[in-house]
Amino acid sequence: MNCDAARLLIGADPHATSPELEAHVQGCAACARFREEMRDLDAHIHRAMQDPPQLARKRRAAPQWRQWALAASVVLATLAAVGVWLLRPNDSLAHEVVQHVQGEPESWLAAQQVSTAEIDKALRGAGVQLDLTSTHIMYAQSCFFRGHYVPHLVVQTAQGPATVMILRHQQVAGRASFHEAGLEGVIVPAPHGSIAVLTRGPANLDGIAAEFEHDMRWQQ
Amino acid sequence: MRNSPPETPVSSIGDRLPGPDPGAPLVQLFESLRPDLLRFAHWLARDRATAEDIVQESLLRAWRSREALKDPSAARAWLLTIVRREHARLYERKRLELVPLDEITEMQAALRPAEADGELFALRHAIMRLPIEYREPLALQVLGGFSTEEISRELALSSTAVLTRLFRARNKLRVIYGLSPAPDAAPQGAA
Repeated sequence: MNCDAARLLIGADPHATSPELEAHVQGCAACARFREEMRDLDAHIHRAMQDPPQLARKRRAAPQWRQWALAASVVLATLAAVGVWLLRPNDSLAHEVVQHVQGEPESWLAAQQVSTAEIDKALRGAGVQLDLTSTHIMYAQSCFFRGHYVPHLVVQTAQGPATVMILRHQQVAGRASFHEAGLEGVIVPAPHGSIAVLTRGPANLDGIAAEFEHDMRWQQ
Repeated sequence: MRNSPPETPVSSIGDRLPGPDPGAPLVQLFESLRPDLLRFAHWLARDRATAEDIVQESLLRAWRSREALKDPSAARAWLLTIVRREHARLYERKRLELVPLDEITEMQAALRPAEADGELFALRHAIMRLPIEYREPLALQVLGGFSTEEISRELALSSTAVLTRLFRARNKLRVIYGLSPAPDAAPQGAA
């Protein structure tokens, strides 16, 4: 082994050993010194890398016109949001979903799982199928909602029962959460329409919606 | 729906992935390794927020592929490779260094005063300034405990190329430590 080969190994890993390397270092004072230096340096590298430096992007001052434009857009956005809030229809989708769920209080009380046949029946009208490996769907009805029959399911979770309504004909622009009449809810877009999930307390609503979406097959 | 009892997602993994039980040993194992993963990702991405995103995405990928982890004692190395690949994917998408150093500045307030002008401080910044091709194998070796052979497999490089990159990485850092750089001992044509 020559000095170049020894230094390559030492530089790559100062604690590496092999019979050839040891033999070379024993006979080469320069490489032995190099190894000592690199081992010393390596100890510092290990310490340094335990704690990455805190870095932040430099802020570039925005041109003044851009600051004014930003301020104007904030004002407009605020006005638009206030307007939407004031003019929101009382019969919003979320409100109707809540009303519907309140109209079927017995759905929360189911203590037994429903049969596969009942689940199929509830889903059929909406043109969806569910991978029916579930053991904890406690309620399944096909309900008339906004002019269509929609599946109304209640699934048992660790946090308690959760209502799931598969709203094939209700398109939503994006996820919307709501809190009304003691119910927590979320409506999320789905490949066809949307899915509403409601519970009476804190729960991972999005997780439940995602799980249903994953296990659902939409028929054309 | 799965044919299993109702489960409670954990705060981090479970917020975006329904199902994992926070009490499950694997979830606890993943969470216990999060600081190591974050440190590793931070050295690769050079940005804390990006590193957090990388780790979050990596943990999701890991959870989806958890069947592949046969031996829990190998979880740390397995997760580090997932983090590295996730960073590489991000790096590839952006086709540039994630955080160009000429666009960043130090947050002096965040530095510990005793280190503010010490060798360790300089060394950290010198490591951050290493090009990714040197910083990546160094992080795998120092933080991940990977051997040269393991790094060469992970990076799809020859062992000689990995040795060369590690040698050059440390050689650049010698200067910070007040040592003169050694002559390049890499064989011709090596990385």
